[in-house]
Amino acid sequence: MKKLIIISLTVLVAFATFAFMAPEKITVKGSDTMVILAQKWAEVYMKKNPGVGIQVTGGGSGVGISALINGSTDIATSSRPMKKAEKDKLKDRYNTLGVEIACAKDGITVFLNESNPVKELSIKQLSGIFTGKITNWKEVGGPNTEIKLYGRENSSGTYVFFKDNVVKADYASSCQTLPGTAAVVNAVKKDKYGIGYGGAAYAAGVKHCMVKKDDKSPAYLPTPENIKINLYPVTRYLYMYVRNRPTGANKAFIDWILSAEGQKLVTEIGYFPVK
Amino acid sequence: MKKASYFLVKAAFIVTLTISFFAASAQQPADTLKEKLDELKDRVSGIDERLLTAESDLAKHNKIKISGYIQAQFAHFEIASANPSNYFWIRRARLKATYEAADGVKFVVQPDFSPGNLSLKDAYVALNDRWTKTFVLYAGQFNRPNYEVEYSSSQREVMERSRVILACYPGERALGAKLEYKPNALPLKVQLAVFNGNDALSYKDAAGTSVASVNKDVDNYKDFMLRATYSLQLGSLGGLDFGAHGYFGGVRANSTTSLHGDYSKIEAVKLGDKLNRSWAGIEFQFFADVLGGLSIKGEYLFGQNATPGYMSSAVKTSSFSSVLKNDTLTNTTTSTSTTTISPNFLTKFNGYYVYLIKNIGKKNQFAIRYDYYDPNAEIKGTDAGVLKYTDPSNGTVTTSTSTESTSGSQVLINKTITNTTTAFSSKSGKADLSYGTLALAWQYYFDDNIRITLQYEMPMNEKALEGKVVDNYTINNVPGTLDYSKVFPQNTLSIRLQAKF
Repeated sequence: MKKLIIISLTVLVAFATFAFMAPEKITVKGSDTMVILAQKWAEVYMKKNPGVGIQVTGGGSGVGISALINGSTDIATSSRPMKKAEKDKLKDRYNTLGVEIACAKDGITVFLNESNPVKELSIKQLSGIFTGKITNWKEVGGPNTEIKLYGRENSSGTYVFFKDNVVKADYASSCQTLPGTAAVVNAVKKDKYGIGYGGAAYAAGVKHCMVKKDDKSPAYLPTPENIKINLYPVTRYLYMYVRNRPTGANKAFIDWILSAEGQKLVTEIGYFPVK
Repeated sequence: MKKASYFLVKAAFIVTLTISFFAASAQQPADTLKEKLDELKDRVSGIDERLLTAESDLAKHNKIKISGYIQAQFAHFEIASANPSNYFWIRRARLKATYEAADGVKFVVQPDFSPGNLSLKDAYVALNDRWTKTFVLYAGQFNRPNYEVEYSSSQREVMERSRVILACYPGERALGAKLEYKPNALPLKVQLAVFNGNDALSYKDAAGTSVASVNKDVDNYKDFMLRATYSLQLGSLGGLDFGAHGYFGGVRANSTTSLHGDYSKIEAVKLGDKLNRSWAGIEFQFFADVLGGLSIKGEYLFGQNATPGYMSSAVKTSSFSSVLKNDTLTNTTTSTSTTTISPNFLTKFNGYYVYLIKNIGKKNQFAIRYDYYDPNAEIKGTDAGVLKYTDPSNGTVTTSTSTESTSGSQVLINKTITNTTTAFSSKSGKADLSYGTLALAWQYYFDDNIRITLQYEMPMNEKALEGKVVDNYTINNVPGTLDYSKVFPQNTLSIRLQAKF
């Protein structure tokens, strides 16, 4: 009996020690807009905290939130706020409303090919273009050619945010669906008459379109200053969602992301700090 | 000189030939490469075309979504009259098909394939308004607007709905139309619905025969429901959803007398008159982030329910007798008709439920629910089985007619005696007793699709007077009695495995 107790205690201590030593694992899934930023955060944090393993995947804001609801991710990154239907599913499954953490700011950039003479568009014109009501560049001061639309899949938070805040109706059926902002940028880079949208961090090799609230307002580029003070009309927060108030390793990681060190990385990637 | 010229010409010729040879060689691979490139381009175009067709087909298939769940269960019943006292069964086997015909137009069909109980649960079309995006119109058969009714059985933390909800909304679904209003700027939802009525009515006459004419609440009296809910954010504490609903309906009278729940107040009605079934409910659901998810939910309902009575067809018997005495022959025909009347029944009721649900980590969940239902709030438990209404006109009325004829000294008397018996009484009983039920449940989620639930449910009946409300039963030729003067064991232990997709 004594031997059994000693063996059991030894096994228990071994398990406890192993558990203490075993690396903490955090999964982060969701927004393609934020995937590079999230990977950078994970990389830098893991270097400072070797006992923590962080796995980052994209798939879109909708995919990340679904993973949060079905329990397959700890943190969901999202470039749009959670919808009511998603919050209801979280309520039903976990009896919680979820915790929303704004972790960065972004301006959704409208991409134009560098050879396109059009320099600025109003929200109403953008809505007309992406709903298919405006189909020729000449209607917005450009050349007499058909407008080619490039956009994202409906699981993308960028797709939802742009639809809710700019397009305000259904996208035109001719709008091509691409998997990620990088793909949108590439498409517009190759198409003289293309137009697309996406997070500011990905815009290289394409022209940024100046956007104005309405015909009477001035147009602004998505520069850090314009986004910081909300002059640029298509500004949004980027979010992390967790099921409950974060504790343990999750809390430490999220606290670090919101710290000066974590926010510095936001600027390096091309987004803007939350404060 | 001639020799030098000859050599120069020869050298030039050789150089020219060599250059031509290499030029020709270079041209060949370039031609082949161009052909290969063209071939690849054609292939890619072909793949592009096939991909577009496949994408278009996939888009059509993506409009159809199939989901469903199966609940396989084992239950052990502690009530003495249960025979068998434990068994396996399929509680639900649902398949739901949703088709998004066009943007904002959805068709839903959901049959239930439980063994021996194939039924159609949902069959409706939902139209979303494209302009303001705040209204949705439903038409068909769908859940009545109530929190516990609309909360899916695949998600609910306790196996069955509470008694008051099962009594007010049997079958959960009804045929009708519903308009939902959800403004974008407010966390408000308003539902207005109109239904045929309470199609899951189950009513039998004294002989135990289903009275088919009243089992379907299809008449000119449509039932209306109005429900409004609002969601409040309570900062870091959590959130509170609250609301109220009203049910305004009726069933048609199937008896010329209506009796109230006190078993004394009676009113005369015409067949087909409306019997009011109206009640109100207030609800709340509180969600708190306390060491993981926690919620407290509750609802209270009160109002009047109505059950249509019946008037069973008269049963006629007749007999004939003939008596000769002296020169007088008396023929007597006696007929007896019996009419059994059960009055329409109008009762005031109330009931409530309270849930406490706690999530423990990602996979475990614990729930406690207490629910209470008093189907007849007008009498006490000690009145059940005692209070009885007997119509003063009950009894037998005898009428007699006779004719006499004479032929010489012979007299012929034809007598007709008619007995009309009316039986009309209604006695309180088990159906008037209230019940309080405590359920404890624990669920384990293997993943989002598979969960196992262990539940112990403890119903407690209101006590009647000894011997006044009893259930007699026989198991294996051994008789037994459940006397409702005590709270006898009637608990149930259940284990359920649910697979959802």
